[in-house]
Amino acid sequence: MLKVRGLKKTYGNQIRALRGIDLEVPGGMFGLLGPNGAGKTTLMKILATLLEPDEGAAELNGIDLVVQKGKARRVLGYLPQEFGLYPTLTAEQTLDYFCKLKGVTDDRERREHVGALLERVNLSSARGQRVGGFSGGMRQRLGIAQALIGRPELIIVDEPTAGLDPEERVRFHNLLAESASDAAVVILSTHIVSDVSSLCGRMAVIRQGGILASGTPAEAVRQLEGSVWEAAVPRETVAAFKSRLKVISSQTFDGRARLRVLAEGGAPGVEFAPATPTLEDYYFSLVTRTAEGRRG
Amino acid sequence: MSRLTRTPFAAVFRTEVLLNSKRVVPYAMLALFGFNAWLWWAKGAAVFYGWATNGDFFIVRNFIGFSFLTLPLFTAVMMGDPVIRDFRAGVNPLILSKPVGRASYLLGKFFGNYFVLFCCQAVFALALVLFQAFRPAGMVVQPARVTPFVLHFLLLVVVSHMVLGAVYFTVGTLTRSPKIVYGLGVLFYPVYGISQTLLKPLPSNWRIRLDPLLAVWPGIVQRAHGAEWENAASINRLTFGYDSDVIINRVLMLLVAAASLTILHFRFRRAEESGAEGPVAVLNLSGDGEMLFRGEGGAPAETQSADAVRLALPKVRVAGEGAGTYLRQLAAAVNVEFRLLRAERGLIVLAPLAVAFSTLELLFRVEPEGSYSGAYAGSTAKTSLLFLVALVVFYTGEAMHRDRELRIEPVLWSVPAPNFVILLSKFFAALLLSVSLVALIGLTALSIQLLKRDTPVEIYAYLSVYGWILLPSVALAAALSVALNVLLRDKYLTYAVSFATVGGLFYLYTQGHNHWLYNPSLYGLWTYADLSGASAARPLILTHRVYCLALALASLGLAHLRFPRRMEKGLEGAGPLGSNGWSILLTCVALTAALVAGVLLLVPGG
Repeated sequence: MLKVRGLKKTYGNQIRALRGIDLEVPGGMFGLLGPNGAGKTTLMKILATLLEPDEGAAELNGIDLVVQKGKARRVLGYLPQEFGLYPTLTAEQTLDYFCKLKGVTDDRERREHVGALLERVNLSSARGQRVGGFSGGMRQRLGIAQALIGRPELIIVDEPTAGLDPEERVRFHNLLAESASDAAVVILSTHIVSDVSSLCGRMAVIRQGGILASGTPAEAVRQLEGSVWEAAVPRETVAAFKSRLKVISSQTFDGRARLRVLAEGGAPGVEFAPATPTLEDYYFSLVTRTAEGRRG
Repeated sequence: MSRLTRTPFAAVFRTEVLLNSKRVVPYAMLALFGFNAWLWWAKGAAVFYGWATNGDFFIVRNFIGFSFLTLPLFTAVMMGDPVIRDFRAGVNPLILSKPVGRASYLLGKFFGNYFVLFCCQAVFALALVLFQAFRPAGMVVQPARVTPFVLHFLLLVVVSHMVLGAVYFTVGTLTRSPKIVYGLGVLFYPVYGISQTLLKPLPSNWRIRLDPLLAVWPGIVQRAHGAEWENAASINRLTFGYDSDVIINRVLMLLVAAASLTILHFRFRRAEESGAEGPVAVLNLSGDGEMLFRGEGGAPAETQSADAVRLALPKVRVAGEGAGTYLRQLAAAVNVEFRLLRAERGLIVLAPLAVAFSTLELLFRVEPEGSYSGAYAGSTAKTSLLFLVALVVFYTGEAMHRDRELRIEPVLWSVPAPNFVILLSKFFAALLLSVSLVALIGLTALSIQLLKRDTPVEIYAYLSVYGWILLPSVALAAALSVALNVLLRDKYLTYAVSFATVGGLFYLYTQGHNHWLYNPSLYGLWTYADLSGASAARPLILTHRVYCLALALASLGLAHLRFPRRMEKGLEGAGPLGSNGWSILLTCVALTAALVAGVLLLVPGG
């Protein structure tokens, strides 16, 4: 169990990245959802022992991640949003190196572990290739492989599927889902709602340095049952709808605007039909509500 | 005119100037060239021989000297990577997908950077023009003039380096490797020296026509007028007019520059080479049993077919804290760092160059200093020292900043290896590289000694000289470089500070100010005989080496203390002192040892 209490972080340029984060993350996949600039990466960096918070604490199974950095790093697997690898090393050499740094000192165990990791991320056939020649997906898979070294208790993956094609994304999701049953906690930070809905047992929404909501995706969707409506309307009427209804999302499709609105107590207009709520609806309604609340 | 300023060429040109205005290199060059002008004006041959510091001969000689001695490497630094920077920053697809012609893009890049280089070069000329206002006692100054400075500067410096700049720019853009360009910058000296030797038998007018820097021109004019260096009056009367030979030379140089840029124009490809994608195509990126996720809502979709076997990771034992674990981590990190250093392309050029320069003298007559081996080892130690220090500073900087440049730092810093493992791995890798080079130099010297039959060969003499003189000095250079890179946090600033310090110190040494306390390289303070057991100077040298190694330890302690990666807070971990406590203790002990050794060095008579 990962417990985060009152984490605050303000950068030198007075940007308040975290305004007091409180979270309890049980075992399994946990999705941290939020728009760009919400503070996800700052939170991930603090949990990965790379950044010092101004206030607050984070504890994993009795290890204080803020204070006991050495101990924390022994149980941690981290895949940052942007990362590089030594281009002249091969995939095998790279994993071997990280294994040694992680403290996997037994030669036979290390060889087996590296082999299994490469197998698991489907890079066995590329084990002898230099990382410099890898595609984005291959690099990303090698990244997750290094994060899995030593079967860590906490795996942090920050925006892992950005730039991956659909096939690579599926493969990546599968890997994470498999790893979640190995590791105690896997935190997936992303702004892609479908990644969370398809992978995570629990989730939290973060915006402007604060947690807006947390729970399971199913609970979140259940909250919206019977209140999401959909209609295809002429594009020029969208502004009028937006002014009188809570519009969750508006997408242009085939020359018309497809609106999804939130309305409790019946259809907001004759053109609207009931729609099955999705996690995306929940996310957008939450984010829109917070933005409106602030404006009000 | 306003139409020209709105062209893509002008936009690229302006952006290059803007980008360079935010780099450290141009400012370092401005400072260095200004200092260079002062040095040659105030302490140069003119003052020594009584030549007029604004006479034609001295102006021409100064510009050619500046062009040969100072500029080639800086021209390589400035002109080698303008296009590479775009590709590295990933901005090239954004620029090259716009309707910008190849010529506009390439010429904008070339002239934008050359303009910045020109401005830096001009400081040298401008300083010499302004120095005419000062007339220190003993310095001969003719009536103030500007035209010769401007004319000679444009024709002798600007044109010469436009050719070099065009070649470096072409090579850098086509190979996308700045290291090859820097290698060419270093190779310029031997290539130029060999070409001048080959041209020597030709008549003087042909030598003038074919010399890219016109370095032979002042000598030929001087001899033609029968002027002697020691006869200041005859030297000051010399005038340098641009006759047909010189004009042919300059036109030829401009044509070479134009030809180089034309080749580049035709060979330049907007897209990356497709060859790099090779390995990607052969991999099956997706397993057969996998399917796309169902998408929004509900529980996670089935991700694998029923018969797909999940690959379980075998359990591994992760070692805890302890000296054994740290040593294994350090060994692994040194291994990787050294492997990465060996993969640096520049070494292909620099290593043979270091060996060649260090052993060149051995091909001529070597006087035995007690023994032939001692003389060979001593000679190579003296000539290679500066080269080794420069290499150590350069490659330590590369190693220290590589993790950040490759964006591997977040991954590397999240592993449970302590900071000293990361820092020491870079220190030892740089040291190991130097030791390898010293071994290579030693083996070459040994081979020459054997070939020349200057026997007997004493291995101990080599080990003794390299072990006592070279290695502690190189270790100190590497440790100081690690500390400077941590403290200054900027690779280029560290290079500038390091090379300025080394240059300043060596200048002081050559001027006779070479006290043991600020002469860590022992430059000019030892002979092979001093290293023998019977010598009275031996204890002093040993004390000095202790002094050097203590300073190296203190530098490493300081670097560890200021290393930006955070470790345990307070008293947690790393024993009762904490990580920072150990650094402070090590630094204090090392500084005390250095202080004691320094006091011993100050005691009269050692």
